Amino acid sequence: MINCTINGKKRSIDIDPVKSLREMLLKNGNFAVRDSDDAEGFCGSDTVLLDGTPVFANLVLAGEAEGCEIVTPDSLGDSMHLTVVQQALIDAGVVQSAYNAPAAALLMTWLFDNNPDPSREDVKDVLSGIFIRDAGYEQYYLAAKLIKEKLATGEYKTEIAPEFRPQLKSVGKVMPKVDAPQLVSGERAFVEDYVDDDTCYMVVLRSPYAHAYVNKIDTSKAEALPGVIKVITAYNCPDVTYMSAGQGEPEPSPHDRRLLNKKVRHVGDRVAAIVAETLEEAIKARDLIEVEYEPLDAVFTVEEAMAEGAPLVHNGRVQYNAGAPDDLDEYNAKLSGDEREGKVVYQFPLHGDVLHNVAAANHGGIGDVDKAFEEADAVVEATYQTSQIQHTPLETHICFSKLENGRLIVYASTQVPYHVRRIVSWVTGLPQNKIHVIKTRVGGGYGSKQDILVEDLTAYATFATGRPVLYHNTREEEFIANSTRHPMRVHVKMGGKKDGSITGIYMKVDANTGPYGNHALTVPMNSCSKTLPLFKCDNMKYDLTIYYTNTPPAGAYQGYGTPKGTYGLMMAMCELADKLGVDYKEMVLKNHVEEGYMLEILKGLGEGREGNVVPVGSCGLREAVEKGCEMIEWGKREESDDPDWKIGKGFAMIMQGSGLPGLDHANAIAKLEMDGSIIVLSGAADIGTGLDTIIAKVASDILCVPVERITVITGDTDSGAFDTGSYASSGTFFSGNAAVVASTKLKEMILNEAALQLGEDKDDMELDWPGEVISKKTGKKLSYYEIIHTATSGTGRGHLIAPGSFTTAASSVPYGAHFAQVAVNIKTGEVKVQKFYAVQDAGTPINPEAALCQMYGASLKSIGHTLYEDMILDEDGRCVNANMTDYGVPMISEQPDDFKAVLIDVDDPDGPFGAKSISEIACNGAAPAIGNAIHDACGVWMRSWPMTPEKILRELGKIK
Amino acid sequence: MYDMKALYEAESVQDAVRLRLEHPDAQILAGGSDVLVQIREGRRAGAEFISIYMLDELRGVSIDEEENIRIGSLTSFSHITKDPIIQKYINVLGEAVDMVGGPQIRAIGTIGGNTCNGVTSADSASTLMAWDAVIELTGSEGTRRVPIKDFYIKAKVVDIRPDEIQTAILIPKESYENCFGHYIKYSMRNALDIATTGCSVNAVLSDDKKRFERVRIGYGVASPIPIRAYSAEEFIKGKEINEENIKEFALTVLQDVNPRDSWRAGKALRQHISVVMAERALKECVKLAGGEADE
Repeated sequence: MINCTINGKKRSIDIDPVKSLREMLLKNGNFAVRDSDDAEGFCGSDTVLLDGTPVFANLVLAGEAEGCEIVTPDSLGDSMHLTVVQQALIDAGVVQSAYNAPAAALLMTWLFDNNPDPSREDVKDVLSGIFIRDAGYEQYYLAAKLIKEKLATGEYKTEIAPEFRPQLKSVGKVMPKVDAPQLVSGERAFVEDYVDDDTCYMVVLRSPYAHAYVNKIDTSKAEALPGVIKVITAYNCPDVTYMSAGQGEPEPSPHDRRLLNKKVRHVGDRVAAIVAETLEEAIKARDLIEVEYEPLDAVFTVEEAMAEGAPLVHNGRVQYNAGAPDDLDEYNAKLSGDEREGKVVYQFPLHGDVLHNVAAANHGGIGDVDKAFEEADAVVEATYQTSQIQHTPLETHICFSKLENGRLIVYASTQVPYHVRRIVSWVTGLPQNKIHVIKTRVGGGYGSKQDILVEDLTAYATFATGRPVLYHNTREEEFIANSTRHPMRVHVKMGGKKDGSITGIYMKVDANTGPYGNHALTVPMNSCSKTLPLFKCDNMKYDLTIYYTNTPPAGAYQGYGTPKGTYGLMMAMCELADKLGVDYKEMVLKNHVEEGYMLEILKGLGEGREGNVVPVGSCGLREAVEKGCEMIEWGKREESDDPDWKIGKGFAMIMQGSGLPGLDHANAIAKLEMDGSIIVLSGAADIGTGLDTIIAKVASDILCVPVERITVITGDTDSGAFDTGSYASSGTFFSGNAAVVASTKLKEMILNEAALQLGEDKDDMELDWPGEVISKKTGKKLSYYEIIHTATSGTGRGHLIAPGSFTTAASSVPYGAHFAQVAVNIKTGEVKVQKFYAVQDAGTPINPEAALCQMYGASLKSIGHTLYEDMILDEDGRCVNANMTDYGVPMISEQPDDFKAVLIDVDDPDGPFGAKSISEIACNGAAPAIGNAIHDACGVWMRSWPMTPEKILRELGKIK
Repeated sequence: MYDMKALYEAESVQDAVRLRLEHPDAQILAGGSDVLVQIREGRRAGAEFISIYMLDELRGVSIDEEENIRIGSLTSFSHITKDPIIQKYINVLGEAVDMVGGPQIRAIGTIGGNTCNGVTSADSASTLMAWDAVIELTGSEGTRRVPIKDFYIKAKVVDIRPDEIQTAILIPKESYENCFGHYIKYSMRNALDIATTGCSVNAVLSDDKKRFERVRIGYGVASPIPIRAYSAEEFIKGKEINEENIKEFALTVLQDVNPRDSWRAGKALRQHISVVMAERALKECVKLAGGEADE
């Protein structure tokens, strides 16, 4: 029995003293004390105060809490009664995916309780023990300022973010994200908060080999263990071949895996899934499973995969559901056809060639690059290598499923609820109406939750056992058995004239998709399709080849292939400018596209089919470049006081998309409720970025109702309407536009109904704040309450419900430029990012404060990718740094001292109220901006990620 | 749930000694910030543990009757950083342990745990080496003092006898008097990262601030256990303070450091950095001591 005080109340808790303090607090109901790192003491999601001092609750034994006073994050204020600190975090926009926002609120509260006037250094120190991946740290400094002002004077003095579109009341205004109060106060929000008491646990036995046949699995000892319910293996799972990418059907990814395979293809691949009454029993059973492996030679790099006679990662049969080549039978005869291999099924041709480990390929271009290089005054050619990077969401992948009312209910932390439903339907054989996917709040996605990585197996386990099942990745599994950024070798050849014009660009991209082909074609494709259209150049060519290997799997990651392509192209352009003796900025200005420029290059860059050739739409690129150059004082050389430190500047142009025109689809349903308030049902999947708020805001401005009287329900496959999901930067543009369509339809219905009720012409009706209809002719008014009350009365015409669907051929491209000033220590190789400016055209920023946070977050993340992050594999394909401490994410201390995010005001004709996407693009600029700045500082070209001190010293010739 | 065979709670130092004798296989648990992580990783799972965390008598910093700085073994990193005695006489130690983790770890992590782990990358290790710290151990036959250079035996192994616990770390007066030190942690990132190499230098200058009377230099991660670069110390002793001598001093450390290749960093980088850090840290010490390092 542990006696202590928790949040001011005396408690006696019956718990084993060698359990952790966190386990004790969970038992007490304080579930917002979360775990992001398996008790590694890194992420800080488990922060509590113990006798007035912050500690990691995972790293304190329950027994040590005897007699202590404990304060947990959920004690601060509930969502209806927020404290000054909680409210300031919301107002500053930092409460995004928010898995550890309650912990951050607790730390900030502790800081202010002990020091009402903290310095920037004090804020930095207190946040040095918490990992923020979504919003970055910069706006926490803003929040601290707001708290200080509010506590001292009762109001904020500092402007939180610029506002846009003065004629609108909600869109473009600083306004709390609708889900933020629930998130910051630590109320029920994430999958783990909805787990029933009688739930079983599932764990997965994973392969110790990078490549091996699983010849035999003896599960008898495991199954004999008390508490064990079922062991699922390749030998008793359904024979359904599919893939994990949450993409529109038919997917541009080969179907090349089953729930469990008779061949394992990477260290960490699924071998067996064990369902037991408790986690401890499941783990014990896992250790009792006996597996007979037949190890095979493995390939880990594209060089190894393409080598003559290389071991084949997929050596079974190839099938095509459409467009099979005529010689398929001959082709298949060359493959081993071993039953254990399974098969690779292309939904349509992706130019894959599994006999050479090629999962997909694409080739194309415009003009004549060879001639262009001949005509050039200078040509540069170099290869840029990117590393394998993990998303590291605070909330690791998790799924909870159960049977209820004869249906399979799946609680998912996902970006793609409808794709989850489809894939669960495939593996269980249930029709989609029998499956209900509930997307809870998502504690960080970044693309990793666009893959269906745990929902397939968890839902199947419930289907097979009839029991509620919880599965939760460990942090190590998050690295080795999840998805990662594809390592790519980007070879660029670029020619230019002395006047700075680029004559031709050639890109050869060799990408490593790992053992399975989810996103195999489309990620590398983005390295060309979201970079080459930045250039006014008539001669461009690309060759893309995507290889299967035995590394941990790759998949979607914020930016998709674009950061890698941008890295190669922008660095090559800087090298070319250097060689031509032209200023890089002048070269950028000379070659970038402008509104109206016809993008012929897009023809070959569709997602596995012909792309739309469209002109450049709204484009704030030039303004972004000019603005950033002015801010960073481009052309001015900076000197350090210390001669060891050399300072340099660099920047990169960036672009992305706003969803996939012709492929993505979003729907929404707007309803006028009985008191005149509004409910919008949408298929959108808000992953913390503020999509629900965007939907509420557009509905608010169209329907003239304050956001407080609008509730947005999303991510639920029962109550929403189909939406392809949150990926490819589609949320604001597609789901936002669907809400625009539905709200506009509802507006028409309201006007129509009001006209009928007033006996007047619809054309004379007008909406007015806060939710009424006024006749321009007679001046008569009807409130929404009066309208809906009459419409739903015993003689009424019916509930006003408006569905809206959105598809488009239009492509609204966000543009921008990211700038870096770095200091490089030529003796130690250390790189400090002194300044980082993210300048972006996002169209109308609907949530400006959230937009800034996403720009900061993505920029910091990509600074991490550039300088620190790298999954390192040993010779057997085992990841040696699959934990947070060793992997190397940037924290508050790595953040640039001078960090700015600037929004360029551009009104896009196709976006909802002129909006384009905002967050994903912000991952694209850091690597080339920093790489070019390092060259400017000390003259070396950093052609691989991460740009470590060791590599820099080697380039400088200081070490061998 | 931590996988412990048993956890024994010590109520006093004598009680801890008794528990050590009764349970010879049991390991010692102080703050737990390292040990609990290791249990979770499976490295010490299933073992018996003796927790000494409740022994408040092992907390705090004082000057004892011999004028040693006495740091109780359970003193937390955050305490050390803020302690006025530390700030006055050996501020570098406070700075070094402040580089450990975030506030949550600094509140729990203890100087005793940091040394008893025997880990070469521990942030306190090179500084305690460079200041000739003395480890006080208490066992059934009373206390025993061991110079820290003898306390570290090999990687992860330290000189603690079966009946002992570490009770204090002492910095002798002749070590800290008129002495100024500087620590450089060379790591890939700042917070919550393990040092690639750590270098702690301290110097006593002549009264006229023109000569080095005594320089000591300790390294972490330059060898399996924290080490001193005695050749370099010997070289610089009594020498004039100038650029040339400092550079030579720095190069001389290569005779003593013996880093290895690992995925974190290659041997060549570690050797190179050892030299660069030695020069930089010594210059900083001269500055702190009121001398002039640059011409």
